[in-house]
Amino acid sequence: MMGLASYLIISLVLFVVGLVVMLSRKNIVAILLGIELILNAAALNFVAYSRFVTNNLDGHIFSLFIIVVAAAEAAVGLAIVIRFFQIKETIHIDEATQLRN
Amino acid sequence: MFAQFLFIASALLTVGGAIAVAVTKNIMHSCIFLLTSLIGMAGLYATLGADFVAVTQIMVYVGGIVILMLFAVMLTGGKDFVSRAQNLLGLAPAMGNKWTYAVGTLVGIVFLATNVKLIMNIVSVNAPKTFGTEFPSTVSQIGHLLVKEHVLAFELSSVLLLGALVGAAIIARPRKQG
Amino acid sequence: MNQTLVSYLSQYEFYDVLLGFFGNNQTLLAVTIYFLFAAAIVGLMATVGGLGTYAERKISADIQQRIGPNRVGPYGILQFLADGVKMLTKEDVMPFTADKFLFYLAPMLALVGVFATLAVLPWSSGFIMADLNVGIFYLIAISSLVGVSVFLGGYASNSKWSMLGGLRGASQIISYEIPVTISILSITLLAGGMGFGTILSHQTGTPINWFIFHNPFAFIAFFVYGIGALAETNRAPFDLPEAESELVSGYHTEYTGMRFGMFALAEYIEVFVVCGVAVALFLGGGNLPFNIELDIIPLQLAQMVIFITKALLLYYVVIWIRWTFPRLRVDQLMTICWKYLTPIALFNLVGCAIWTVVFNGKSIADLVFGGGH
Repeated sequence: MMGLASYLIISLVLFVVGLVVMLSRKNIVAILLGIELILNAAALNFVAYSRFVTNNLDGHIFSLFIIVVAAAEAAVGLAIVIRFFQIKETIHIDEATQLRN
Repeated sequence: MFAQFLFIASALLTVGGAIAVAVTKNIMHSCIFLLTSLIGMAGLYATLGADFVAVTQIMVYVGGIVILMLFAVMLTGGKDFVSRAQNLLGLAPAMGNKWTYAVGTLVGIVFLATNVKLIMNIVSVNAPKTFGTEFPSTVSQIGHLLVKEHVLAFELSSVLLLGALVGAAIIARPRKQG
Repeated sequence: MNQTLVSYLSQYEFYDVLLGFFGNNQTLLAVTIYFLFAAAIVGLMATVGGLGTYAERKISADIQQRIGPNRVGPYGILQFLADGVKMLTKEDVMPFTADKFLFYLAPMLALVGVFATLAVLPWSSGFIMADLNVGIFYLIAISSLVGVSVFLGGYASNSKWSMLGGLRGASQIISYEIPVTISILSITLLAGGMGFGTILSHQTGTPINWFIFHNPFAFIAFFVYGIGALAETNRAPFDLPEAESELVSGYHTEYTGMRFGMFALAEYIEVFVVCGVAVALFLGGGNLPFNIELDIIPLQLAQMVIFITKALLLYYVVIWIRWTFPRLRVDQLMTICWKYLTPIALFNLVGCAIWTVVFNGKSIADLVFGGGH
């Protein structure tokens, strides 16, 4: 019951839900929430494979780096969101059409 | 038995939290459901014997990312935009017209079939090993791996974090009008 | 290794008797033992939290040359029970425009975050719910739930006071986590492990073996940890999130009755927890002042008493500080954290690393008296 497959199914569900969140929302923060779910699904896969298939800790290391990247991405992404809100006074993703000015 | 209970509880928390993120209209509540999903994920890591990864997950996400998200939602007003009328069962906001749904369903079926095929392979070939309750400590091994085999990635990630910190501070800095 | 309460108890004979009583069902017995111990600890902590409010008033009265509560029970010691009854019977008011879901959730998150830390707090060498390999890291991680709850409490109340208090609280807790974590990291470096069992096993015997006296950097780290922990638990002089003279009472302005009580209880228990962590990391934990080979239950109880006594002494110091120092301004608070405490903590970390390499991990006492372990 708790084999590799069950972890993969959970990870699959998380990935799909994250994709739906990312594609369906118009709020930039909500899109970032979806990205976090997708990154987590990937990290879970790495740890599950490292436990059941390779039997070493490289998968753990990789998921640690995924967490680091997620933290950096969240910090920069949210800074951009706040800056965008200061300029446009909305965080609707369709308003983000210009690269300058 | 306890490990199985932990697994089921964590899995429900993870998947339920993720689905709640998708269907909740209020973005603040979405952040909180993301938090439950991430804590459930830490539980899943714990059932895999990855104690250090589990605790890092809680530390970074709960202590950092979720609070950052809450801050961002609060500073930007927290409105969600449901722009189109066609909703999927009234739950998820719509993503297109009926052609989109038709193509999406087709792609989804193919995707699902591929995944079921892949997972069936895994189930049959790689039969689940017996699931012990005792796990060796991973902390010291991860420490050695980080400073020996993966030292380049470790240093690069520290540079990445520094860059993200400085970049975020510069981007979000209030500027003079003009 | 992950030692737990059950694996500790299983070395005694009465464990086998109990196991027979439970029909040789290991899981059931383990769950029962954990449940009973958790109930005992939660009961003890609720009493400590309740008595904390009493001690706070009595000590502040002492410092200000007043008498303090003296009506309920001898010396007013049952005052906290009276307060509890009052809170339970008060009307539970919720602001009309509040976010109901988050408003209900916030105080519970605070209590969950604080009670979850009790699972790894080392009451004695044997009586510890789970001596995780990542013990202290887990404790820091899970206690950041309190930060989320402070923010949510401020946001959900939909009131200006609460909002400002929540904002201040969240930013303060996030900022001060950095020097606290780095100070703890330098102790982890000296002990060579993050489990409380590992950390305590290096501090046995006389007080000279405590980590606070291990080297000068650890000595400074103790004070950095202390200041940071005061700020993380929102205690004076860092109680800006609930600054009553400017923000009414900050993030819990709109909370009444038992919801307010939950926030207050969480705060007092959290103070006890950070004091306990300081005792375990720097002040030798519950270790007896002499080395003894015997491992029997009464000695464990003695260790527990020593641990709680040390933690309560630090608790007294925390209350003492609250009633002696004026409150800081927000900019001063952030200046202290980012310009002073964080660089000092980093300096300590590097210093501890260099000390470990140069003196081969020996403490000052080892160098002076020629010992070494």
